[in-house]
Amino acid sequence: MAAIPSAGVEALHRLKLTEPPMYLTPSSELATAARIASEHLFASLKPYTPKSPFDRLLVDEKFDAEQIWQQIDLQSQPLISAIRRQVNKFEKDSQELKDIFKSGESDKEQKRELVLEEKEEEEDDDEEDEDEDDELDDESNEEEDEDEIEEDESRDGERERKERGGVGVEDKFLNIQEMKEFMEDDEAREYGVNKKKQVVKKMSRKFGEDDEEEDDDEDDDDELGVLELAGEEDMSDAEDARYEDFFTSTKKRDQSKKPKVSEKVEDIDISDEEETEDSDTGDEDDDGMGSDDEMKIDNLSTHEKQLLEQRAKIEEVERENLEAKSWTMQGEVNATKRPKNSALEVDLDWERNAKPPPVITEEVSQSIEELIMKRISEGHFDDVQKAPSLPSKAPREMKELDENQSKKGLGEIYADEYAQKTGLVSQALSFSDEQKKEASLLFKKLCLKLDALSHFHFTPKPVIEDMSIQTNVPALAMEEIAPLAVSDAAMLAPEEVFSGKGDIKEEAELTQEDRKRRRAHKKRKFKAENAKTIAKKPRERTETAADGKEES
Amino acid sequence: MLRRNVRLRREYLYRKSLEGKERLLYEKKRKIKQALEEGKPIPTELRNEDAALRQEIDLEDERTAVPRSTIDDEYANANERDPKILLTTSHDPSAPLKQFVKSYCAEKQIFNGSYLQELKLVFPNSQRMNRGGQVISEIIETCRAHDFTDVILVYEHRGVPDKIVISHLPFGPTAYFQILNVVTRHDNKDKKEMGTVSEAYPHLILNNFSTKIGERTANILKHLFPVPKPDSKRIITFANQADYISFRQSGGPKSIDLKEVGPRFELRLYQIKLGTVDQEEAQTEWVLRSFINTSKKQKVLGG
Repeated sequence: MAAIPSAGVEALHRLKLTEPPMYLTPSSELATAARIASEHLFASLKPYTPKSPFDRLLVDEKFDAEQIWQQIDLQSQPLISAIRRQVNKFEKDSQELKDIFKSGESDKEQKRELVLEEKEEEEDDDEEDEDEDDELDDESNEEEDEDEIEEDESRDGERERKERGGVGVEDKFLNIQEMKEFMEDDEAREYGVNKKKQVVKKMSRKFGEDDEEEDDDEDDDDELGVLELAGEEDMSDAEDARYEDFFTSTKKRDQSKKPKVSEKVEDIDISDEEETEDSDTGDEDDDGMGSDDEMKIDNLSTHEKQLLEQRAKIEEVERENLEAKSWTMQGEVNATKRPKNSALEVDLDWERNAKPPPVITEEVSQSIEELIMKRISEGHFDDVQKAPSLPSKAPREMKELDENQSKKGLGEIYADEYAQKTGLVSQALSFSDEQKKEASLLFKKLCLKLDALSHFHFTPKPVIEDMSIQTNVPALAMEEIAPLAVSDAAMLAPEEVFSGKGDIKEEAELTQEDRKRRRAHKKRKFKAENAKTIAKKPRERTETAADGKEES
Repeated sequence: MLRRNVRLRREYLYRKSLEGKERLLYEKKRKIKQALEEGKPIPTELRNEDAALRQEIDLEDERTAVPRSTIDDEYANANERDPKILLTTSHDPSAPLKQFVKSYCAEKQIFNGSYLQELKLVFPNSQRMNRGGQVISEIIETCRAHDFTDVILVYEHRGVPDKIVISHLPFGPTAYFQILNVVTRHDNKDKKEMGTVSEAYPHLILNNFSTKIGERTANILKHLFPVPKPDSKRIITFANQADYISFRQSGGPKSIDLKEVGPRFELRLYQIKLGTVDQEEAQTEWVLRSFINTSKKQKVLGG
C-alpha cells in the first residue's frame, strides 16, 4: 500500500506539472499517470465512503474512460452526501466543533463516535441499504440524497433524545425535562429568587477559586455550568416567554439555546479571567455580603414579607404624591392645559341638564299624522284671521227704481208740491218726514261747522231745494273765497244798517248857513216845548221880560 | 324714510307709556262690569268715576275693550296685509344649504337634476336673496325700503342647516330657533314620486302652544303665512312636544292626504328679542337657560 500511494503521489505530481496544452493530444503516458492517480485517490478516499462496491478502482487498460468515470462516480456520490451531512451537523453543533478544535483527542474521539454511530445505524438499516444498493444504478442521485437527509434528521433526533434522556410522553411540544426545569423556576420565583443565583454564585466562586483547572475539569465544569446556566437561562426565558419557545421545532430551540449557553460559557470564562486578574478579596467580600443578605431574606416570615411589600407600596404612593398630578385630577382643565387628544382616551361621564334632542321614530311621526288627521276632520285650523275692517263709509242706500208708471200725471205732481210749499193744503206731515227734516237740518249744520274747522275742505253752503228766497243771504256768498269766519259777506251793508234820512254831514263839514239853520231849528224846538209848559202855568207874569226874547 | 321711522318709533314709545295708564283704566272698568253682572254694589274707590266709566263701557266694542299690549302690537296691522318674506343665508353658504333655502322659497319650480327648492317652496309670497357680502344692517334697510314684513336667515354647520332666525320687520320681534333632525325633500323620496309641491296658501296647524311664550311663538310663526282660502288643500303643521316644534308639510295640490311633502325638521326656540335682527342691544323677551338645575322639567312653550 505504501508503494502505491507514493506512486500515486508521483503520478499526481506529474499530472500537475504537465502543461495544459499537452492534454490536447492523446498520450499514453498521461493516460497511465491519470489512471494511477485516480486509483490512488480512490484508495485514499475509500475508508470514508460508507458503501462502495469496489475495493479499489479498477483501472486496467481495458477499462474505458467511461467505465472508470462511473466507478468514481459510484464512490463520490455517497461520499459527497456523507460530507454534506457532516457539515450540516457541524453547523448545528458548533459546540462539538469547538470541542473538536480545542482538544485534538476529543476531535478524533467524536469523529470516531460519529463513525461508530453511523455504523450502528448502518447495521440497523442494513436491509434498507441493500435495497438501496440494488436500485442504486437506476435511482437518481436526488432521491438518494432525500432519503439520506431524512435518515439524517431521524438520526439527529434520536441522538438528541439520547442526550436528553427523555422517556415516554414526549413530542416536539412537550418535553419533560423542560417542564421540570420550568416548575423549579416558578417555585424559585415564588419562594425566593435567589436560590438559583446562590447556586450560580457558588459556581462562579468555584470558578474563581479553581482558576487554572485542567481541560478535563473545565469540561466537566462546563457541562455542569451548562446545566446550571441553562437553568438560569430558563428562568429568564420564562419571564420573556416567546412563541418560538413553544411552537417551533426543537432544532431552533437548540440553536437558540446553545449559542446563549456558549455565550454564557464565554462570559464565565471572561469573568474567571477578570477575577484572577483583579484583587480577589473585594469580589469575594461582595459575594459574601450578597450571600448574607440573601440568606436573611430567605429567613423572613410571611408577615415580614408582607410588611416589606406594604412599605414598598407606601413609598411608591408617596413618590406619586410628590410628583405633579395628571390632568384628570386637576379640577377645571382647559384644552390648553392637557395634552392633545387626551380627552378622547378618558372615559368622560357627567350629568347633563339639557334635554336630549328627540329622536324621530315611527311612533312620533304616526302621532303627528294622527293629530293632523283629526284637525282636518274637524276643520279646525289656526290660520291668520283677517280683521274686520271698520266701515269708513256708510253703505249707500240702494234706491230701488220703481218701474211701474206712476199714475199721477206730471202736472198734477207739480201742483201738489206747490200746494205743500205754500201751505194751502195742510197735510198731515208724517212723523218720519218731520224727523227726517230735522235730522237733515241738524246734520247740515254740523257739516258746515266741521267744514269751517278744516280749512282745506271748504264746501259751500248747502243748496236749498225750495224756491223761496231766504232773507239776508249775502249776494256775494257763492263767490267769496275767504273763510266764512273771516269773510264779511254775511255782514249787512252800511245803508242797510243806516236808519237815518238824507245827506249826513259831520260837524267839520257844516257851512255857516248850515250851522245857523241847525241852531234855529234847535231854538224853535226848545221854544215849542217851553210854550207848552208856560201855557199850562197861571198868566200872572207880565210881558215885561219877554220882548227881546219873543222878537228873536 | 328716516323721519318716518323716527315718528313710528316715537308713536310706539308713547303707546308704550300709555300702556300703564290704560291698564289701570281697564282694571277699573273690569271691576265695574263684574259688579254690575253680579249685582253687587260698586266698590267704593270707583264711586266717583263710576258714571264716566260706565258711559265708556257702554260705548266700547270688542276691539277697544281689551287693553292693547305693545308687545303684540307688532302684529296689530299684520292681519290687514299679506306677509312678504325675504329668505337669505349666512355668509358663504354651502351648496346643500342653498338647496335647503331654495326649497323654502316660492319661486318657479324647476326640476333640474341639480337642485330642489325646499325652504322657498314652503312660504308663499317669499323671495330668496343671495347673501354675498352684505351686512345684516344693510339687509334690514333694503327690506324696509321694499316693504317686506319678515326676514328669515338660515345658518349652517358643514352643510347641515342648524339655526334659523325669523325677524318681523317694522321693529318687530326676532325669534331664534335651532334646527335639528333635518330631512330634506331630496333625501326623503325620489323626485318623480313626489311631484311638484302645491303653492297654494296653506292651512296651518299649531298644536300645544299653551303658555304665554308659546302663544307668542305661535303668533310669530302664524304671521309668516297669508290668509288661506277655505278650500285650500295644503297643510303645514307646527306641533310642539316638550319644547321641540316639529314641522311637517302635507297635502298635494288636488286632495288633502297625509302624504308628506316637503322637508321635515325640528325647531327649538332659544331666544326672543324685542327688536329686529340688527338691533343687538334690544331687550330680550325670553332666553333659554339650559344650565339651571330644573331645566329638564321646564316646558316653556307648552305641554
